Amino acid sequence: MIEYAEIGITTNFSFLRGGSHPQDYVHQASELHLSAIGIADHNTLAGIVRAYSELENPEVRHRAKLLIGARIVFIDGTPDILVYPRDRAAYGRLCQLLTRGKIGDDTEKGECLLKFSDLLEFAEGQLLVLALPHRFDAAAAADILERLKQSGADGVWLAASLLYRGDDRRRLSQLHRLALAAKVPLIATNEVLYHHPERRPLQDVLTCIREKTTIEAVGTRLQANAERHLKPAAEMARLFRDFSDAIAETMRFANRINFSMDQLKYQYPDEPVPPGKTAQQHLEDLTWAGVDECFPQGISDTLRATLRKELDLIAELKYAHYFLTVNDIVHYARSQDILCQGRGSAANSAVCYVLGVTSVDPTKVDLLFERFISKERLEPPDIDVDFEHSRREEVMQYVYRRYGRHRAAIIATVIHYRPRSAIRDVGKALGLTEDVTAALADTVWGSWGDGLSEMQVKQAGFDPQNAMVVRAVDLATELITFPRHLSQHVGGYVLTQDRLDTYVPIGNAAMEDRTFIEWDKDDVDALHMMKVDVLALGMLTCIRKCFDLIDQHKGERWKLETVPQDDAQVYDMLCRGESLGVFQVESRAQMNMLPRLKPRTFYDLVIEVAIVRPGPIQGDMVHPYLRRRNGVEKEKYPSPSPQHGPPDELHKVLHKTLGVPLFQEQAMRIAIEAAKFSAEEANGLRRSMATFRNLGTIGKFEDKMIGNMIARGYDPAFAKSCFDQIKGFGSYGFPESHAASFAQLVYISSWLKHYHPDAFCCGLLNSQPMGFYAPAQIVGDARKNGVEVREVDVSFSFAQNTLEQGDGKYCAVRLGFRQIDGFSWKDQDEERLKTIQSSFRNAPSTSSFRGGPEGRARNPYPPAVVMDSGPAPYGASRNDDAEEVLVPRNDNDVQLDDWAERIIAARNRRPFTSLEDFARDTALPKRALILLADADAFRSLGLDRREALWAVRRLPDDVPLPLFEAAVAREQPDEHAKPLPLMPLPEQVVADYQTIRLSLKGHPMQFLRAMFARERVVPCRDICHRNERLSVRCAGVVLVRQRPGSAKGVVFMTLEDESGIANIVVWPKVMEKYRKEVMGARLILVEGYIQSSPEEVTHLVAQRLIDRSHDLIGLADDALRKQTAPTGPALIEELNDDRRDHPENPAQKIRHPRNVRLLPKSRDFH
Amino acid sequence: MKQDRDEDNNGTPSVVVAKEHNALLIYSLDDAAARYGLTVGQPLANARAICPHLEVLDADPAADAKTLNDIADWCDRFTPLVALDCPHGLYLDITGCAHLFGGEAAILRHLCDALTAQGFGVSAAIASTPICARTMNRHVHGMIVADGEEADAVSPLPVFTLGADEAISGGLRRAGLKTIGDVASRARHEITARFGAAFTARLEQALGEGDAPISPRKPLPDYIVEQRFAEPVSTEGVIAATLSRLAVTLVASMEKQGKGARRLEASFFRTDGVVRTLVVDTGQAVTRGSVIDRLFRERLDSLSDPLDPGFGFDLIRLSASRTEIVVQQQRGLDSHVHDNDDLAALIDRIAARIGGKRVIVHLPQDTHIPERAALAAPAQHHLAAATVAEWPERAQGEPPLRPLRLFEKPEPIKVPLAMVPDGPPHQFTWRRALHAVVRVEGPERIAKEWWRQDGKTLTRDYFRIEDAEGLRFWIFRDGLYESELKDEEGRPVPANWFVHGLFA
Repeated sequence: MIEYAEIGITTNFSFLRGGSHPQDYVHQASELHLSAIGIADHNTLAGIVRAYSELENPEVRHRAKLLIGARIVFIDGTPDILVYPRDRAAYGRLCQLLTRGKIGDDTEKGECLLKFSDLLEFAEGQLLVLALPHRFDAAAAADILERLKQSGADGVWLAASLLYRGDDRRRLSQLHRLALAAKVPLIATNEVLYHHPERRPLQDVLTCIREKTTIEAVGTRLQANAERHLKPAAEMARLFRDFSDAIAETMRFANRINFSMDQLKYQYPDEPVPPGKTAQQHLEDLTWAGVDECFPQGISDTLRATLRKELDLIAELKYAHYFLTVNDIVHYARSQDILCQGRGSAANSAVCYVLGVTSVDPTKVDLLFERFISKERLEPPDIDVDFEHSRREEVMQYVYRRYGRHRAAIIATVIHYRPRSAIRDVGKALGLTEDVTAALADTVWGSWGDGLSEMQVKQAGFDPQNAMVVRAVDLATELITFPRHLSQHVGGYVLTQDRLDTYVPIGNAAMEDRTFIEWDKDDVDALHMMKVDVLALGMLTCIRKCFDLIDQHKGERWKLETVPQDDAQVYDMLCRGESLGVFQVESRAQMNMLPRLKPRTFYDLVIEVAIVRPGPIQGDMVHPYLRRRNGVEKEKYPSPSPQHGPPDELHKVLHKTLGVPLFQEQAMRIAIEAAKFSAEEANGLRRSMATFRNLGTIGKFEDKMIGNMIARGYDPAFAKSCFDQIKGFGSYGFPESHAASFAQLVYISSWLKHYHPDAFCCGLLNSQPMGFYAPAQIVGDARKNGVEVREVDVSFSFAQNTLEQGDGKYCAVRLGFRQIDGFSWKDQDEERLKTIQSSFRNAPSTSSFRGGPEGRARNPYPPAVVMDSGPAPYGASRNDDAEEVLVPRNDNDVQLDDWAERIIAARNRRPFTSLEDFARDTALPKRALILLADADAFRSLGLDRREALWAVRRLPDDVPLPLFEAAVAREQPDEHAKPLPLMPLPEQVVADYQTIRLSLKGHPMQFLRAMFARERVVPCRDICHRNERLSVRCAGVVLVRQRPGSAKGVVFMTLEDESGIANIVVWPKVMEKYRKEVMGARLILVEGYIQSSPEEVTHLVAQRLIDRSHDLIGLADDALRKQTAPTGPALIEELNDDRRDHPENPAQKIRHPRNVRLLPKSRDFH
Repeated sequence: MKQDRDEDNNGTPSVVVAKEHNALLIYSLDDAAARYGLTVGQPLANARAICPHLEVLDADPAADAKTLNDIADWCDRFTPLVALDCPHGLYLDITGCAHLFGGEAAILRHLCDALTAQGFGVSAAIASTPICARTMNRHVHGMIVADGEEADAVSPLPVFTLGADEAISGGLRRAGLKTIGDVASRARHEITARFGAAFTARLEQALGEGDAPISPRKPLPDYIVEQRFAEPVSTEGVIAATLSRLAVTLVASMEKQGKGARRLEASFFRTDGVVRTLVVDTGQAVTRGSVIDRLFRERLDSLSDPLDPGFGFDLIRLSASRTEIVVQQQRGLDSHVHDNDDLAALIDRIAARIGGKRVIVHLPQDTHIPERAALAAPAQHHLAAATVAEWPERAQGEPPLRPLRLFEKPEPIKVPLAMVPDGPPHQFTWRRALHAVVRVEGPERIAKEWWRQDGKTLTRDYFRIEDAEGLRFWIFRDGLYESELKDEEGRPVPANWFVHGLFA
């Protein structure tokens, strides 16, 4: 039996070069019984962990020895060299070599610039294989081989390949002569680009994408044939029959390598542990100290026992370092008054509560800690920490300062081809026009994972039989899940005790001063490395702003953990569905759910957060749960046949949710308890669930889980729905542990909304863009709750919205200049951040990777930049040497002109008395004056919008006009001119919407009311429970259009008029007929009947829709006729708005209402 | 005068889109699309959501500009003073021309009818100042504003019809001055102080209070020379001599503008009204009379259907219908510049005789497929490309990979035996002669182009072969044994072998 090791494999992590996943090669090698495979991607190690993890897959029956290497591609013309480290130390050097190529000062993200001399420097212990191009210069190659031999490398080889090029044999004998002369062995490889010859078309398409050309034009840049696949040993031996030693050499090569990924022994950094203590001791000390602080009255025995149990588990699994690291970061944030909240499997433990990592009281939520830290899977626990999104960067910079850049880096996110991008790129490569690919791409909304279906092709208006379109769709389907490039994760850090760049190559990120490693979170997990998630959450910013406002104006200082819990009035409000602006439960679907679910306790909120998600909806778990909760249906627990197990085996898992699985953990538990999955299988299921869209391996689990459950006597329907739910989780799975943390913020924001609607409104406006609603709705809601809102005015407003002494129960909200579109103002948080970043940039010792990091002074808390407003840094032991407190560097930054600041400064010197004073004292540019006048901000000076604008326009320009242009005219007084016509109210309202996106003067609909009343159109307010079944006509401005993926084509619209909002349901049949109206109208008249549930969730079911936008336009004469600027790509709003949880998610930026003109545009799907 | 392209075709809403800020936006649309409520500037994705069966065309501003120019050319028949008002308007100064067409109303109707018949949407107005006419035109179609009534005519129109910046139009609207009349009612200095003198000037022109001339397009020079004969001519000698003379004059007039001719037309007008036109294309711009003369002589000689003078020609016209700028080059310093001149002249002469399509050069094509590696192209148009084309280089000291010339079609050969899977034959029969293979190199494996529609072509294994007599062949086996040469049941089928060319 001939043995062969393929050492020249290129995977698709050599982006747009390799045509197969690393995993594919592992499977194919198993099929072919290859002895070893060597993965050598172009200047990267990004794909190796995937291959390594795949060896665990039980389907891989024959495990090839996995050789880890890289193909070094040089910028100085040196031919490619494959580098395989012999041992762990050499592997570290390979990582450092790649890091050097990726992290140079001028190196762009994704580049790796290396010279031959760089390789020589890190050659010690490496196995080097020179891979010459088809035509080569023998003398130069001999020289390179000679230098490689002298480099301290463990060995040098010359690669030979037979690729059916016509002159293969002649070339091979040339190589042979070269090898003989250089005294290096010849080694066979097939320079593999894909695992199976069938991948040739896809690889050709990748080449086209890479070369930015089409398949018709790409020509000889393609491979001439399909030979570069993984070949069996016998075939390789046949090809190399005249040089059989080159085949034997592959095995000698493979056997020489001692390195495997198992040897990457990870060490926790021990920063947070004081000398002389073990991590576990320190954690226990902190825990008990925390207990004393949290519970001055002492704690119950149960809590003590829980803490003890948790600490024991942590000790057993050696996770103390992890908890200490998270604790350290959280404490830093606290010390800077940055709000934060932990979530994740381990975050809701009693230990985390007493440490202050989370404010969810463990006694409230009965979360079983050990359920989430499974002993079987030796993976670190998962604690994500959310920080105020505007101040998260400060925390990130702290992490860098604390651990140094050589030991801390952000993990990568592998950006995969999605259906949309796949069809775009493939279409372009196949020469389809942009219009065709755009149409195909537009059909894929809402579809996850699977390729384009025939229906989607038809929907785009193409014949599914059209060969070119079919080919494009087939190839795109194959391309989906291919990695496209690496990007940095939103906030996941990996921290190491010794140099990180000996574990994994580190590269520059697109963002300045950011570096990230080549592996993503799954890779990091697979290697048991510690990862800390430093995430950003907009709502925390908002809550902090609210707390500050309450402190300033009402003299009460609240904290996340001090807000009174279990307030009945807060729950009453939520039960009424009044959740506008509240974290997580403000979407329309959530608002509908609230009155049905009627949350009364904290745990109800946990369920509320988790239930309106694709998982429970697709698994059809929502209605059974609601029926049981409302007592319509009896709680019952599916059970196996008696011979298979105890009848209550699922009771333990499901009793908290009344027998209906709602959370991700429960679905997993069912797999273990009911389908008797082994821990390993469950782990596989969990992984395929997390990467469901990537790998599509879920199918085999489906058969197994459902089969097992039915075999054990479960109801097949129940088994099926459990699995559907798992599928629904996809990668937006929502675990109970996360829901609990979010529920805490739901409660706190609801509490703020109920008791401090003034501060809540103000804080929410100041945190925009965020959430689901536009400023107009936020302000409208606050006014409905009795808060007075005052207009923007140069004499009273600040940049931010502020609170003023109010007449009634609450303070009044004064709108700030930030509400004016285009007005220039500075955000305090951003300013603070800039200061910190620039100071960080000046710190020299942290950014160098070449310097030796060992022996740095260990300082528990390196100093932060002291902000004038902030308190002293946490643990302020500022006696150290390396980093000074730096003066903020501003010289290079483009100074944003802060108009607001100028107004306030001038106002403080002396109050404004006239427009001319104002212009002179503030010296604002004319553009600013026009914006202010247009926003009607001069009322305190006795000028309304129109007068102010007319006056402002007459003021001299900042840039002098051409000589005589206007000067002469200005000389002449126009005091005697006749007054301008008065601006009618409807026009004022429209102008308000155009300038500040809301109006305090009225709602556009109120001016049309008389006309609509004549047409017997009822106000939105009348779409209510008591009018159930009534057929009515209702009209309003379209706020939102949604077609949730889970609602089978039903479209939901939200209309608004002066009386409130109305929810419209458009069934697909009606939609078909009135598509134009549904999609196009800004003001729409709906005829239909009212449908209301017993919980008073009311809809108007549309039967006929009429576009009345022209009435809206007529309202302000022609003021609205002007086209508004395009608002970017199509707006898509899924029912689940999980993606909003991550404010860095680019999708959020695109579709946020701030980008959408409220009046003319709604938030839409397409 | 204003024209719009009308994309209306059989009721399917269609739009023209252009890319802006990385999004496809509607650039213009037809009535059917407008009825759907679509608007210019709307993202295509949004438009598709409203109207999924939308027909979408790509904007081509260059073609639009050309069309506008063409229409302007056409309008030359009404007045020589035609000015462009881009992107889709034209000004015609019809002062003193109207009576030729039966008055202003008649000219307006005539012009609009003709353009409408050509498929354009037209909106037009006549006034004493261009701005006034344009302002009217933006609101209504077909108005004729009498002298002195400009102010009355434009006063009720909304301000946007003045076509000022949106900042100005918006500012006026916000001030409550919504019609031109509202604006005109304010003191001029009030307006100038706020919106600038340029705007006031425009306003005054619209009101007929001031005027600014239009800047008409300059007509392109035509190169036409002709000779009329008092007595009709019919002898070949006279015709040839006339052409020679005309050629000299034509070249002289082109030379003044530094032009050379790429297409020449000779028209022969018979006394009975029949016109015969001969067209000659050239590979490079012709600047010499003798060349023109020779080209037409070749052409006349080779006519299969000779010129029939009938009762004689009374007019012979020679024109250069396509010209290009020629850079006068100095001979001598760079002696290679004109290397191709003689060749090009030869090609032109042969082309004039046997037809341009029959004189070809080969251009290299970037493909693995041998048959397509060279493209035959008309020599007159591709000579320059062919002289600089880069053909794949042969590795030094190695035999050529492919023959210089391939057979028109590969010729089948009989191969009794070849080694599976990729071995060459030991002998083969070609054109009934048996060839014993003594030397072989290969295979060079060339896979089919999977993206082509036919799907019948197979992967080929090419071999370079030398037989016992020293003849060298390029042969291939069509199809791979393991995967392609199988019938439906998976049984192997025999391979077909071909010879595709001979090495020199």
